[in-house]
Amino acid sequence: MNLFQIAFNNIKRRKVKMVFLALGLIVGVTTAVAFLSIIESMTVDLGDRIDEFGANIVILPRSEGQEVHYGSTLISNISFDIEKLTLEDIPKIYESSVAEYINIVSPKLVGAVDINNQKSLLVGVETQKEFIQKPWFSLQEPLKEGNSIVDLALMEIPDDGIILGTSAAEALKLKKGDEVSINNRSFKVFGLLKKLGSEEDGLIYANLTAVQQLLDRPGELSMIEVSAYCNACPVEEIAMGLEEAIPHGRGIPLRQAALFREETISQFSTFGYALSGMVLLIAALVVLITMLSSVNERTREIGIFRAIGFRQGHILQIIFLEVGIVSITGGIVGFGLGSLAAKYAGPYLAQLQGDIPLRPELLLPAVLLSTGLAIIASAYPALKAARLNPAEAIRFI
Amino acid sequence: MSEIMISINNIIKTYRSMGDEVQALKGVSLSIKKGESVSVMGHSGSGKSTLLSIIGALNPPTSGKIEIDGIDLYSLSQEKRADFRREYLGFVFQQFQLIPYLTAHENVMLPLTTTRRSNKEKQEMAKEALVRVGLGNKLNRLPNQLSGGEQERVAIARAIVNEPPLILADEPTGSLDTKTGDEIMALFQKLNEEGLTVLMVTHNPDNVKYLSRTIMMKDGRLLNHDEQLITTMNNTIL
Repeated sequence: MNLFQIAFNNIKRRKVKMVFLALGLIVGVTTAVAFLSIIESMTVDLGDRIDEFGANIVILPRSEGQEVHYGSTLISNISFDIEKLTLEDIPKIYESSVAEYINIVSPKLVGAVDINNQKSLLVGVETQKEFIQKPWFSLQEPLKEGNSIVDLALMEIPDDGIILGTSAAEALKLKKGDEVSINNRSFKVFGLLKKLGSEEDGLIYANLTAVQQLLDRPGELSMIEVSAYCNACPVEEIAMGLEEAIPHGRGIPLRQAALFREETISQFSTFGYALSGMVLLIAALVVLITMLSSVNERTREIGIFRAIGFRQGHILQIIFLEVGIVSITGGIVGFGLGSLAAKYAGPYLAQLQGDIPLRPELLLPAVLLSTGLAIIASAYPALKAARLNPAEAIRFI
Repeated sequence: MSEIMISINNIIKTYRSMGDEVQALKGVSLSIKKGESVSVMGHSGSGKSTLLSIIGALNPPTSGKIEIDGIDLYSLSQEKRADFRREYLGFVFQQFQLIPYLTAHENVMLPLTTTRRSNKEKQEMAKEALVRVGLGNKLNRLPNQLSGGEQERVAIARAIVNEPPLILADEPTGSLDTKTGDEIMALFQKLNEEGLTVLMVTHNPDNVKYLSRTIMMKDGRLLNHDEQLITTMNNTIL
């Protein structure tokens, strides 16, 4: 016979009460584990999505003077550039100190051209890289292979093909298949982009090499858009790494994407932590009330223990052992249920793509959370039990 | 070594109840020798249970001094008094007071729980105590599977398992029929003959014949202040 056996026997005797106590803890731990798993997966998922979500660094030539807009990005007025960017700068990016973070590099040459006597902005791009980097670009009349739509990034755009944004197509009154003369060279409209609602709707895209030839600027670039894997890194450091590799270029980090991600996760995390906190607080109250009730029921029994020589510390140990056994069980079960809840309900709750993986590293924190919470919540009932006057408890008086 | 097991000197115990002060003990002095068996008798409210709880190191007196085997009980800290109870005293409470979810064997082992004996030794000692009270064949019964007399025997076994020199019993036959009560009193008599000092609170006059001395209490005082006047065994004052 030892204190553990006394505690264990009491748990067996008061099954309903102990199950109720465990349930309170299980609900609390389940909520906390589920939210932590979902928040972690959201962080990773959103990071991945944003890494795919277009460029997060733009390299421009170092310049003096005015700047003009390209889409939502600022680009330099070419005539003021000190040293131009060229295709020779591309390998330097892959050889830079931040090469491991580089995902997609999309060089561009932008120039004003005459089309049907109207000034328009023509953008030369390496089409596959450009459209991989901007997966939200799609054609109004997509090509189909069987029943499936061919991704724009996988299409071979001919050298004389151009793709127009909706505003550009409307202004120039062009549609798919139309022939058009640009700076006295003949091009054919390959397709029209779906409306994006941004300044990119007013642009015309063509192959980079064709545009370089057309503008008589072989090898020259206006800008390089870089997508970096930047889930947990400061994008500014990558921009600085690129500037070191291309001293005549200026790396401009686009913080909006990162800020948006941080903001979204932060809001969900705050909600998750607040809800988990509330549920854990309720669980603590359940423990407090259950243990107070248990101590009140056992007044006489505790009096007997004290009368036959148990110290106050022994009574505390019995109560904490009981709570410990129940809360460890509650923590393990809560971890299991929380992981299942995250796995099956998480993707719907948080609109996540793919599975939320099991996180075994949360098991120990879950058990510690459950046990710590239960021990703190049962401290008052345990002290009350230990301080019982044994003479009163066994109604000697 | 002193021959005195219990020495009580002018004990006063006052309770506060609803703003009033109630004096449960009004200057009790008493001496009990080692090996004696003493009954404390009196009507309800006479202070006999309060006296027992004070002797049992459970209830500090308002004033006065009490020594057991030369140890001044209430000069000890609360935790030391718990140790003292474990080493020196065996309690037999009213209505058995067994722990309902523990078997007879486990109930008897309880006072040994916090000692540094091996589990095997504890089990042997508990078994031996149950054999001494005639329950060697009912080790694994829960209290609700035992008769009143058997439960009382388990309570006595629990009181003697750690071999204390002093047994304190509070109305041990109060819940038993006459025949079973007599058997239990015979058991106390046997334990006393084996060397244990027994102090028993009772209001059953039939019990006194099993004990060597009787103390009468009334309204918080010994019936006669002079210890010479305390009734002896088979005193017919009752």
